[in-house]
Amino acid sequence: MQSTDVRRRNWDFVLTLITVALLASLGVQSFAGTIYVWWAQATIPNWEQTSYTGYIALMNLVAAPQLVALVAVMGLCVPKRIFSRKLLVAVSIAMVGVGVAAWLARGSVATGVSVYLGLAGLIQLAVVLLTAAGVAGPSYLTEGRLTKLGSGLLHLGFIIFGIVVAALQHSAFMLPVFWTATVLMTVGTAMSFYASRLAVRHVEPAEHPIAF
Amino acid sequence: MNPYSIYQAIDKLVKSLAAVGAVYEPLLLGAAAVLLLAAVLPQTERWRGWFLAGMLAVLMAGEAMLAWFHWRLWGLAVVHDPSTGMLTGHVAVPLWVESEKLFVWALMAAALGTVMVRHRRALLPGVMFITSVLVAGAALLGKPFTQPVPQFFSQYIGYLQAMSNGGQTAMGAFQGMEGSRQFYYNAWYMWVHPPLLFLSYGCFAISFVATLLMIASRHSSYETTAYRWARLGYLPLTFGMLIGFPWALAAWTGESWWWSGKVNMSLMMWLLYTGVLHARLYLRRAGMWKWVAALGVLSFLILVLTYITTYVVPGAHSYAFLPAEQTLHALTATWTRGGS
Repeated sequence: MQSTDVRRRNWDFVLTLITVALLASLGVQSFAGTIYVWWAQATIPNWEQTSYTGYIALMNLVAAPQLVALVAVMGLCVPKRIFSRKLLVAVSIAMVGVGVAAWLARGSVATGVSVYLGLAGLIQLAVVLLTAAGVAGPSYLTEGRLTKLGSGLLHLGFIIFGIVVAALQHSAFMLPVFWTATVLMTVGTAMSFYASRLAVRHVEPAEHPIAF
Repeated sequence: MNPYSIYQAIDKLVKSLAAVGAVYEPLLLGAAAVLLLAAVLPQTERWRGWFLAGMLAVLMAGEAMLAWFHWRLWGLAVVHDPSTGMLTGHVAVPLWVESEKLFVWALMAAALGTVMVRHRRALLPGVMFITSVLVAGAALLGKPFTQPVPQFFSQYIGYLQAMSNGGQTAMGAFQGMEGSRQFYYNAWYMWVHPPLLFLSYGCFAISFVATLLMIASRHSSYETTAYRWARLGYLPLTFGMLIGFPWALAAWTGESWWWSGKVNMSLMMWLLYTGVLHARLYLRRAGMWKWVAALGVLSFLILVLTYITTYVVPGAHSYAFLPAEQTLHALTATWTRGGS
């Protein structure tokens, strides 16, 4: 039992590290993009008119797998008590496969990413509903039901926002879906940060010297 | 009022603000120097909170002046359709754009520093240092009183000139000015997005100081303080950035804003702060302190770079490459030479 707990904690830790690494990687891409825009504007005549579209396509292409990986890690992280790890990994790979198939079938990365995010959104919605119902299934790094629900909501909001960016920019549904994502992310973030203030029992974090 | 009389009234208003600014901006600089000394000198330790509160009072007085200026400007800056002669509306220039940005950031930092409670004594020198740098930057680089909103005046005086000339030039200038009025100056987004970001910047500044104290003292209580300020800043940052998306789609149609320099840097800043908030979940694991501290410091440095990007890297978000000669004074000179 103890070794299972240790394995689970290590698995959680690895997934957190991968999440931070992916966030950093997207950050590095953004920084590289900034430097490139700065250089291109200064050196390539009429860059915005001639090469901007190609630059956008390349940036989207590089960002897409990172975004998919980020959402995949999210999908592996929380529902692991409901399903076995093997099944979760298999489901995640199958979802990526469906996304790639959609990409190849329609010839559009945005379509592939949208299909993948749609599937991930459904799983995340199920996780949020299970958490709200108090089912002892989903597994979170944080304690407290409100905190967990907040975490689930903000991740669901993040996935829906991804769908807005990838698929709904020119759709009539863009604004309502966007506001749904924004409310989920903002309320979810506030709940996961400040849930302890609403809780009946308050647990102050223990403070201690740091061993560097 | 005809275009030239509007111009004259605005010129008088700007000169009134500049007359006050000629005294107030050097005063700001002096106050920044005093605040810096108070942050450094050990003899002032007991009074540091009062020094910061004093700076807040000075900044709030300045903000009140700016509010008066913007209110009067709103009354004067009208847009007419040259084809019908009908008034389309007044231009409501927000109080936190262009030359006023650093001033508002300084105001936020001073206000948050004045009300902070946890580790107040330890945090005050750092917060005072950052506030004094921002105030000095506002006085020396921004100059919101002696050179108020130059980009707005560049466009609006140009519009007035075109209106007085009439013809196709007037129509083109009207379309540009009306677009800016509707989608930029008067857009609800511009009245919400920047203050949210400056609130988050103020919170992150205090979080940064607490992170430095954590590194120096190696005690987790400072990390808790850094985290509390970071999470407080993360909320308005996330909401403020999100609401920019539909606005950008509507206002920047056909412009190169997606993956532009400022958008990239803002995204990077958000990603890094998201990384900090995730990494600290494992704070007690061996070695994670260093990563959390390093990410915290890096995030704030990127925040500063993100701010600077606005003025350096061109793009839809940017003030970079704005022709230096297109200032109110230059336009004034042009109009005066050319007559009206």
